[in-house]
Amino acid sequence: MVAMSSGKREGRMSLLKKIALTASAAIVTAGLTSAAWAESAAERAVKEAQKYKGQTITIVWEAGLQSLDPLNFSGPLWEKLTGIKVKVVEVQTAEMFTKIMQEYRAGTGAYDALNVIPAWMPDLANAGALEVLDPYVQKYGYGDELQKIAATYRDNQMKVDGKIFGFPDDGDVFVMYYRKDVFGDAKVQEAFKAKTGRDLAVPKNWKDFGETGAALTEILKPQNMYGAAFFRQPPYTMFMFQERFRNEGGKFFDAESMKATINSDVGVKVLTEMRNENKFMPPGVEQWGFVENLAAFMAGQTAMTISWPPYGRWAAGYGTDEKALSWVPKSTVAGKVGYAMPPGGHPELAAGFALSVASTSKNKDAAYLFIQWLNSEDISLQRVKLPTALRDPFRDSHFTDPGYLALWPDAKDYLAALQAGSKSGLLDLSLLQTDKYEEVLRQAIGKLWAGEDPKKILDAAAGEWDAITKKIGVDKQKAVYANWASKSGAYPQ
Amino acid sequence: MAQSFASVSSAVRRSPQMPDHNFRYWIIAPSVFLLLLIGLFPLIYAFVVSFQQITMTDYDTSFAGLVNYQALFSDQRLWESILHTIVITVIALPVELILGLALAYLFLEKMYGKQIFISLIVLPTVISPIVSGATWRLLFDQRYGPINQVLSWIAGREVVMLWTIEPILVYPAILICEIWQWTPFMFLILLAALSNVDKSLTEAAELDGAGFWRIFLKIELPAIWPVMAIAILIRGVDLFRIFDMVWALTGGGPGTYTETISIYTYVQGFRQFETSYTAAIAFLIVALMSFVVTWAIRRMGLAK
Repeated sequence: MVAMSSGKREGRMSLLKKIALTASAAIVTAGLTSAAWAESAAERAVKEAQKYKGQTITIVWEAGLQSLDPLNFSGPLWEKLTGIKVKVVEVQTAEMFTKIMQEYRAGTGAYDALNVIPAWMPDLANAGALEVLDPYVQKYGYGDELQKIAATYRDNQMKVDGKIFGFPDDGDVFVMYYRKDVFGDAKVQEAFKAKTGRDLAVPKNWKDFGETGAALTEILKPQNMYGAAFFRQPPYTMFMFQERFRNEGGKFFDAESMKATINSDVGVKVLTEMRNENKFMPPGVEQWGFVENLAAFMAGQTAMTISWPPYGRWAAGYGTDEKALSWVPKSTVAGKVGYAMPPGGHPELAAGFALSVASTSKNKDAAYLFIQWLNSEDISLQRVKLPTALRDPFRDSHFTDPGYLALWPDAKDYLAALQAGSKSGLLDLSLLQTDKYEEVLRQAIGKLWAGEDPKKILDAAAGEWDAITKKIGVDKQKAVYANWASKSGAYPQ
Repeated sequence: MAQSFASVSSAVRRSPQMPDHNFRYWIIAPSVFLLLLIGLFPLIYAFVVSFQQITMTDYDTSFAGLVNYQALFSDQRLWESILHTIVITVIALPVELILGLALAYLFLEKMYGKQIFISLIVLPTVISPIVSGATWRLLFDQRYGPINQVLSWIAGREVVMLWTIEPILVYPAILICEIWQWTPFMFLILLAALSNVDKSLTEAAELDGAGFWRIFLKIELPAIWPVMAIAILIRGVDLFRIFDMVWALTGGGPGTYTETISIYTYVQGFRQFETSYTAAIAFLIVALMSFVVTWAIRRMGLAK
């Protein structure tokens, strides 16, 4: 009995010990786990990636300035932290889709990580070229930081059919840049009022823009200055058409029949206005690309323009002393530039980039960890501030970072404009074989500058869109369009 | 010694290890095989692909019949691109020929620094067409190009000529670039041909009172014709497949105004990823070119 009770006591003690031990272990584990989750996503990626030390990962990046980021900053830093080498394959934007698909078809596993324009994502995902990232996000605890990407990019440029295929990594958005000194000049204001009967203000809609631009050209012409200029080469203007068309109330397709509706009255109005605007812009503006337009604005020859975010940084003189930016004309307008939403208030989130993992990669975990690290709060903030980089702020924290706000005197206005754009921005049309639809628009713009009738151009373009849709399959494309159109940034809300 | 050599030679000929009839074929077999592999195989493969429905995103290798070939007939952009190619060819070829011939006549005469001038004239042909197209694009640029600046100085006011945008100017721009680059090719070949014409014949004709045109048509042209015909053929084929210069200069634009058949094929194959349809276009071009070249060879008497 005693023996029994002693045995029972020992048994009870042993049970208590076990419970205590289990509880202690649970507490320690919980402590360790919470310590682990207290790590930032960047730190976690580095720690996990050290297991793959000695490997080399290959990433496809847009050629030129964009690739200076992985070549000079993120690639070497990643290698120093993890021992994983980063090989950068520079590809021209126009060739990126082809290269990625060719490698996927060949199945060589030559690429591990990819830069993908979000509009291509449905095509690449449906083809199977991109790795589904949800399990990796879960495995490496990236969910929380992923949620802190600005909503427009996060909700619209990350998933296909509910699965994550890429991390939005570039806050590309069109911003209107205007000369504060011109708009604030009393003499210009007076002359403007005399000409138009209204006060000079940054235009909020395209009708105002047309009137303001024309009047400013007349007033400023003696100073060899024009009211406005844009890049007008078809690849750029194609984005501007998409933006203006939707700001004016246009829809790309009839959601029921999937017939193209770009040849509506809205489309004709937009094309007609675009051609009319060229009359008050510098001669030959139809030939202007990114650099020509930048050069004119930096030289103080234009009072308004619209472009991607780097214009704003360079116009303020930020980073233009860097050797890699020696081709950028020196700014004569630093401190004189204001930032606003383009007329209509819903700027195009033109192009942009997302980071993905190639489904044929032989180093998927290492590749994933690299893109998680690149895209993380800590590292992405450093990347968007690189003077030479073309990555633009895309996280809520980027827009409010004290370091960024202090980069130049008007940086707060600049970041406020980018943040406003990220909230109201419009997504590029993204369907199956998007580039075919975009190619038709590019041809249409070329014909517009060549002098063809806007209605005739758009009727032909709509016919070509219908033929493309028919070839892909009306129902198949209709489903993809419905999914795209349901996104918050598809049409102005 | 001679006897022993003959007996060895005879032994070699009779050797069962070395069948003298087939040996030469075995020697060239690897080269022929290689040529077939890199020449014929892609052709056959492309022919097979043209009956499928392969695109970059849809790898459908099932037999699709003549669907791609049927689509060729209703593809307006295709036929327009062929028309654009023909327009460039029928204008550029005669101009290059006439200018090349005129230059060749000029350089037949003795002149100071002749070799230096010939070297300078020939320079454009050694430039890559894509580089010359890109260079001419800069020259024609409204903002930075010297051509419009010179025209503005002459006119005394700003001249706005959008060479790569306005339909009325875009073909002249292409033709200027093309003729600038390839006239020297004609010139060189024709200079060589004219240099070999028997001088005694032309001198005799001159003594008999024959004029320039008569000497040219009756003596020189027949003498240089085989060479001239080859030059025309080479340039004609080159012009029909013109791609890089136009691509760099206009990109086929504005719209599709200057899209040549090669540009259209490239766009379909490598921008739109219509792989099977592009294969069908390639076979259409092969058929067209075979017909035209065969006809030209017969007409020019080159097959004699």
